[in-house]
Amino acid sequence: MRGRAAEWLLPLSVLVLFLAAWEYAAAQYWLRPIQFPPPSRLASSFVDLATRGFPQGITLWSHAGTTIGRILLGHALAVALAVPIGIVIGSYPLVERMTSTIVTFCRSVATLSLLPLAIVWFGTGETAKIFLIGYGCFWVMLPATIAAVKLVDPVLIRAARTMDATPGIIFRQVVLPASLPRLLSGARVALGVGFMVIVGAEMIGTIHGLGSLIMEARTFYRTDITMVGMFCIGGFGLLVMFVLARLEAWLVPWQARQEAQQK
Amino acid sequence: MTPAIEVIGLSKAFGNDAAPVLGAVDLAIGENEFVVLLGRSGCGKTTLLNIIAGLERPSGGSVHVGGNPVTAPGAGKGMVFQQGALFPWLTAQRNIEFAALNRGSGAAEATRLAKELLALVGLAGAEQKYPFELSGGMQQRVAIARALALDPKILLMDEPFGALDEITRNEMQDELLRVWAQRRKTVVFVTHSIWEGLILADRVLVMAARPGRFVLERRIDLPRPRRRSDPLLVGLYDEIWSCLRG
Amino acid sequence: MRAAYPLERYAGFIGVAIFLGLWELAARFGWRNPAIMPAPSETIITTLTVVPLWTLAEHVVVSLWRVLAGFALGASAGIVLGIAAGWYRPVALICRPFIEILRPIPPLAWIPIAIVWFGLGEPSKIFVIFLGTFFPVFTSAARGMASIQPAILRAARTMDVDGVKLLAKVAIPAAMPDIATGLRIGFGLGFGVLVAAELIAAERGMGHMVMEARQLGHFGVSVFGVFLIGMINLLADRQLASAIQLTVGRWHRF
Repeated sequence: MRGRAAEWLLPLSVLVLFLAAWEYAAAQYWLRPIQFPPPSRLASSFVDLATRGFPQGITLWSHAGTTIGRILLGHALAVALAVPIGIVIGSYPLVERMTSTIVTFCRSVATLSLLPLAIVWFGTGETAKIFLIGYGCFWVMLPATIAAVKLVDPVLIRAARTMDATPGIIFRQVVLPASLPRLLSGARVALGVGFMVIVGAEMIGTIHGLGSLIMEARTFYRTDITMVGMFCIGGFGLLVMFVLARLEAWLVPWQARQEAQQK
Repeated sequence: MTPAIEVIGLSKAFGNDAAPVLGAVDLAIGENEFVVLLGRSGCGKTTLLNIIAGLERPSGGSVHVGGNPVTAPGAGKGMVFQQGALFPWLTAQRNIEFAALNRGSGAAEATRLAKELLALVGLAGAEQKYPFELSGGMQQRVAIARALALDPKILLMDEPFGALDEITRNEMQDELLRVWAQRRKTVVFVTHSIWEGLILADRVLVMAARPGRFVLERRIDLPRPRRRSDPLLVGLYDEIWSCLRG
Repeated sequence: MRAAYPLERYAGFIGVAIFLGLWELAARFGWRNPAIMPAPSETIITTLTVVPLWTLAEHVVVSLWRVLAGFALGASAGIVLGIAAGWYRPVALICRPFIEILRPIPPLAWIPIAIVWFGLGEPSKIFVIFLGTFFPVFTSAARGMASIQPAILRAARTMDVDGVKLLAKVAIPAAMPDIATGLRIGFGLGFGVLVAAELIAAERGMGHMVMEARQLGHFGVSVFGVFLIGMINLLADRQLASAIQLTVGRWHRF
């Protein structure tokens, strides 16, 4: 009896207690409102942001749409490039060994450090941001694809060969489906990286997008909007990840069952 | 004379399950007796062992070891598990020293004991090896040595050779008997292999499930080492096999 | 089999050499405009002439100090809280709402609020790096504690080891592989956050150097800076990996 109810009751009450304490502390001026706007203020700012927007006219949804649009585009491009290349690399051990050092290195280059370079090449518009997202996602998706192809269980391939399957059939009907789960989870991680990149990239030289929203808000001393923006970023991030996880479950239903069986 | 292990009316049930895992079993095991609990997976033999060990609580009844009621693990109830119970971050020697140090031995004494026990189980020279460097059979030998380092009153073994290949398994059975001849303990050994029970036991107790209970008990007075081709054992095998088949 | 060995060994180097070679050729004979993409040789020359070695060193040291400070704080907090949360259910339940709400927020999104709370100096950057490191370390530590093989804990209990002793002498060592992996991931993330934070709001450091160089028109320096960042990140990760291999790797097969 104690167990199940406590599971969610304790976290919930801790949270409520925390918010109440915060509200109280702000009301008593123990906390400076410019640094710690109370939850009530955050709630009203959220409504404000959702309806009237900040800067004037650009609502939360508009910002979110811009950001998510950028991510999806960059991500899609990265995946479209990384998967074919990754399949080739993963299928030929020699190529893999030759490229592994480069791949490792490029992955270590902090994506956002390329922002100045991107500006030089593409100017300060959308292209630079899409490029950055694409770069970040690409170097996550590529190793994931290589691993997905390499780690196909050899037993499956051997079984197919005992059934007289041609290399073409083995590739299309064994390797591809077998690597799909890892590809999808790689895509999910890549999306997370893309999200992190864009938030940073939007903090320089633009007023559209969630990253720029919270940066702009700070310069106007609207800490409340900054905080609301932060939580919204987290929220939208979760939403996108959730949708992708659902997609993954729909595309590869056998993976979940396999994992459950192995438990 | 107080039995080494005394189980009275022990029962165990989970929630609203129709049949209890253990249904009021009674068992008395004498000093230095080697008892084997034999049965299919799920007949309650491991649960019974865990309760004797103090790792699980019964729903009803009582367990006494050496006259004292069992409430918690440890305190002279050594245990050997099927696998994965050696501490992977310690060498073989350190694993055994851990048990000795915990009993209160000094560092030097612990080292001496560890080396002695490793030699006893035939692993002299493997002191500095980590578990992942040892084969399954060798790991189980270390596990047995570690349990012995506690100088336990009783030794509880939960299908210790279940994860080994058959050849290694047979070797380990002989090894266990050899070690036991030198360090007599009261042993309760759980297995689902009839042959294993016949080779090792003074007494075999066959269990059935739903509710978990004893359905057959046989004394084996043959001297050890026993040959698997002995007609007495073959006869017992047939008897137990038809009992298990139901 | 044996004949392929020498080629295998140097395959990585050959790959890099080919890459650099192609880049050099493409820059010299392809676009021939150092403003778009200088050749590797040019970046090095530009950097050495434009940036005094002392300044370069200063940028590197500042960046390293920031990331190490942030990492140390984030890792310690992450390990302590993660172990506590993985071992004691009430701790996990209390931490859960805060972690679940704060974790999805990308560390960079904390930059504006960090500036509000800590000003424009060092603490705000260290704070953001701390956050970037904390969450992966916490998650790995908690998960590591929760996925210890039960047989190990049971075995220890049969040896009269329980309570805090069980936690310290058995549970934590058993969870070390996961914790170590978490540290490695946390450092990588922290480093990425460092660079971004320096780009966005700093006057010193490698990220800032890259940004500043572009604004001053020294594109070669920017490119060099990007490579330098990559190299340092890689080297630091290698160091961490071998440290892990030497300690936890002695008894665990990763």
